[in-house]
Amino acid sequence: MAAPKLPPLPADKGVWDDHAIDRRGFLEAAFGVLAGMGALLVAVPGVRFLVGNSLDVTATKWVELPIKVADLAPGVMAQMSYNADETDEWRAVVQRGIVYVSSPDGGNTFSVLDGTCTHLGCIVQWDQDKNEFVCPCHSGRFTHAGEVISGPPPRRLRQMATKVQDGSLFIEI
Amino acid sequence: MNRIFEWVDERTGLSGPVRDFLNYPIPKYVHRNFLYTLGGLTLITFMLQAVTGILLAFYYDPSTEEGAYDSVDYINYQLPLGWLIRGLHHYGSSAMVILVSLHMLRTYYFSAYKKPRELNWLTGVLLFFLVLSFGFTGYLLPWDQKGYWATKVGTEIAGSVPLIGSFIMHMMRGGDALGQATLSRFYAGHILLLPASVALLIVIHIFQLRHHGMAPAITTKAQAQSKTFVPFFPHWVLNDTLAGLGLLALLVYMTWANHAPLGFPADPTSNNFVPRPEWYFMFYFQLLKYFPGALEPVATILIPLFLFGSMILLPFVDLSEERRPWRKPVTTLVSIFYIVVIIVFTILGMAAYA
Repeated sequence: MAAPKLPPLPADKGVWDDHAIDRRGFLEAAFGVLAGMGALLVAVPGVRFLVGNSLDVTATKWVELPIKVADLAPGVMAQMSYNADETDEWRAVVQRGIVYVSSPDGGNTFSVLDGTCTHLGCIVQWDQDKNEFVCPCHSGRFTHAGEVISGPPPRRLRQMATKVQDGSLFIEI
Repeated sequence: MNRIFEWVDERTGLSGPVRDFLNYPIPKYVHRNFLYTLGGLTLITFMLQAVTGILLAFYYDPSTEEGAYDSVDYINYQLPLGWLIRGLHHYGSSAMVILVSLHMLRTYYFSAYKKPRELNWLTGVLLFFLVLSFGFTGYLLPWDQKGYWATKVGTEIAGSVPLIGSFIMHMMRGGDALGQATLSRFYAGHILLLPASVALLIVIHIFQLRHHGMAPAITTKAQAQSKTFVPFFPHWVLNDTLAGLGLLALLVYMTWANHAPLGFPADPTSNNFVPRPEWYFMFYFQLLKYFPGALEPVATILIPLFLFGSMILLPFVDLSEERRPWRKPVTTLVSIFYIVVIIVFTILGMAAYA
């Protein structure tokens, strides 16, 4: 690839080194390759560094809810927050969340719903009078079982896995 | 004095380019029209944000476990003049969004995006996008309820993009959930990446402006003044300075009358807090309510793509020579439609939670 001709230098300044100029096309290509390599050498580890641990999948774990199974009243929707020890980057933190616990038969079968709206992640509120969940952000509504009634949520509220140990209720987060 | 100047100039060679820059001829129709100060005012606001931002960084602690919140609380309520510096930064951000918007509307109605200025319109659209990113990354930093939930919702919106949404969301958050990684990322973006990008784009934007000169006048009255010029400095700079001082006075007054707000600390388990974005995202927040279930991607992806896409494509679609907005009803009516929609949904959004 021939490089375009350079304009002549002012006479009092001097002249272009024609021998060197002949190799200009090659030198430009060499620069492109070397600079590209340099950029890649910085960019590849740079991007990997930026991604960091962002894509790690957090392992699920069992967390105890602050209620005894025996204390669940039939037909009552109980809002509960849970705490779980987590590591946020380098710092030990307590991860907290909201679930809604109900038991139609007073402690034999349970439903634990994640309080996080499936639309954009706000926490839904339980409306006892209407017997439904309402999201304060974009007015998504769910039945007491977590099914979508209306509004933007694309999916039902997440039903959480449960287990009972020594009369305490555990959920898998 | 003169000898010092000459000594420096001999060693820097700056006086020529600087003189050219300052003596740049501004047409009289521009000098006489205050609408042309909107770009300069935006730049002045950016400088104000840079200065107040640097000052705030001397006290701000970007850590989630009370560091961020407590340091902003300290700045706002205990530090001498902390209320003023944070208040100017807070109201300045809103001013910047308003000024960029008005500057773009002025450019739009004066058809200044047309050939050969298409790329200057594009750098402007990019700058507009970066200003909104400044707002979005900025109001997470106090780590209060508003910032936390607005960021949660905002990153979920990015997460709803098909195929790559989850990756984008994780990259924005620095993980699965909002936490220290999110705050660090937003902080680095807000104080390093965005300012550097915006500063670079502003230089390109102004270089292009100088390369093409001001867009032709659209009224006959202005056209009559298009062959008479005044120098950029001091005539035009004085206009900008006056406008800038007026804006600064307004921002100081607003800050003094209503200190910048700080909500309760971020609480992922609160369900009595009603998440709300900053006012300039309110129309969009409201819009999200009208798209049920399967149509959600329409609101979260198609509408933003369409808005930014139409802004980007504008100078390549509107190819007519006509520059007078009253003679090109399509672009004028479309813009009025957008403005009405934005105002109506902003009011609906505000009214719903008043």
